[in-house]
Amino acid sequence: MQKGMALNMECKAAIAYMHDYLDRELPREQTLELQKHLASCAECRTRLEALEKTDALMRTLASEKTPDDLTYRIMKSLPKSRNPRAWTTWVRRHPAMSAAAMFIVVMVSSFVAMWNQNQQLTVRGDLDHVVIQGHTVIVPAGQQVAGDLTVENGVAQVMGDVQGNLTVIDGNVTLASTAHIAGKVKTIDRAVDWAWYKVTSWFDTIAYGS
Amino acid sequence: MKPIETRLARLARKGDQRAFAEIVDLYKDKLYHLAYRMMNNRQEAEDVVQESFLRVYKHLDRYDENQKFSTWIYRIATNLCIDRLRKRRPVYSLDAETDHEGLDGYAMLPSDERTPESEVILSETQRLIRDAIETLPVKYKSVMILRYLQDLSLQEISDVLDLPVTTIKTRVHRGREFMRKKLENKL
Repeated sequence: MQKGMALNMECKAAIAYMHDYLDRELPREQTLELQKHLASCAECRTRLEALEKTDALMRTLASEKTPDDLTYRIMKSLPKSRNPRAWTTWVRRHPAMSAAAMFIVVMVSSFVAMWNQNQQLTVRGDLDHVVIQGHTVIVPAGQQVAGDLTVENGVAQVMGDVQGNLTVIDGNVTLASTAHIAGKVKTIDRAVDWAWYKVTSWFDTIAYGS
Repeated sequence: MKPIETRLARLARKGDQRAFAEIVDLYKDKLYHLAYRMMNNRQEAEDVVQESFLRVYKHLDRYDENQKFSTWIYRIATNLCIDRLRKRRPVYSLDAETDHEGLDGYAMLPSDERTPESEVILSETQRLIRDAIETLPVKYKSVMILRYLQDLSLQEISDVLDLPVTTIKTRVHRGREFMRKKLENKL
């Protein structure tokens, strides 16, 4: 085969066959075809010989000697322990459970955080008609509180009127005989109740926009 | 019965260092041979082998047991070699070489970074084959090394490189023609 000389169609096909043959993937029928072509084409015979030789030479390439202490150095280069990361494996294998657990952790911790930071007296509602003394929120006799009244971390002392609900969180309520509360009186003492209250009031906000 | 590597990988995943050392012993020679021929440099070959095992170790829990362990480890090592080679030199195509035979960019690159005393090559033939492999463009080099030095099937090479078998076949054919041209006149 001379350089620059155009290959005829038959030789081109033959060369493709040669490679498949060397890959041990040439079907018997095509092998016979190739054989027929080789019988009449000296160039392709030379080509196949050269390719076979190349193939054989490539296989004779000796392995390099691996450095003696390579195993030792590899083992030394490894991080000390795989175990601390075992939970990441679990997470990878249970994605739904992990997401649920994560959600619960976030919910609980945010509630707890909110619970813990609210140690101070908080009053929500109509502040014009109440009197605050230390930790006590007083609705004096004769006064009318418009709408709901909420007291957190304190004592509600009611002597007048509350026209909505009275809610006391982490505290208690004293109602005088003159007291009149139009809505419900609710006392919430525990974080769980408080959380439930937060959730329902959040739903109320969504439902009624108040 | 699972293959030995799968069982060792399971043990190693649980933190058994000795099981991992066995994996290293099973594959270090193969990976070193692969990396040395890819990089043509002793130090870089060692770096690649170390880095490969480190990655294997770190990602043991990502090993899919439906796949052959050898395919997975070869993929890691081959990709490391290819990345390093791509960073090392500009890209040349094999087609460009066929148009100007012997005058491709590789001829002008320092092909051997080994120090002369680092190894003794007894046969001239071995040296010629090595030099010819060294001048192969990266994409053919990796395929030829996996095919001839690691004795992988076309299908296995396709799995390692994540390329279609037809692509691998074409690369073997072209790589073989490239090698033939390089070796023909010298032997």
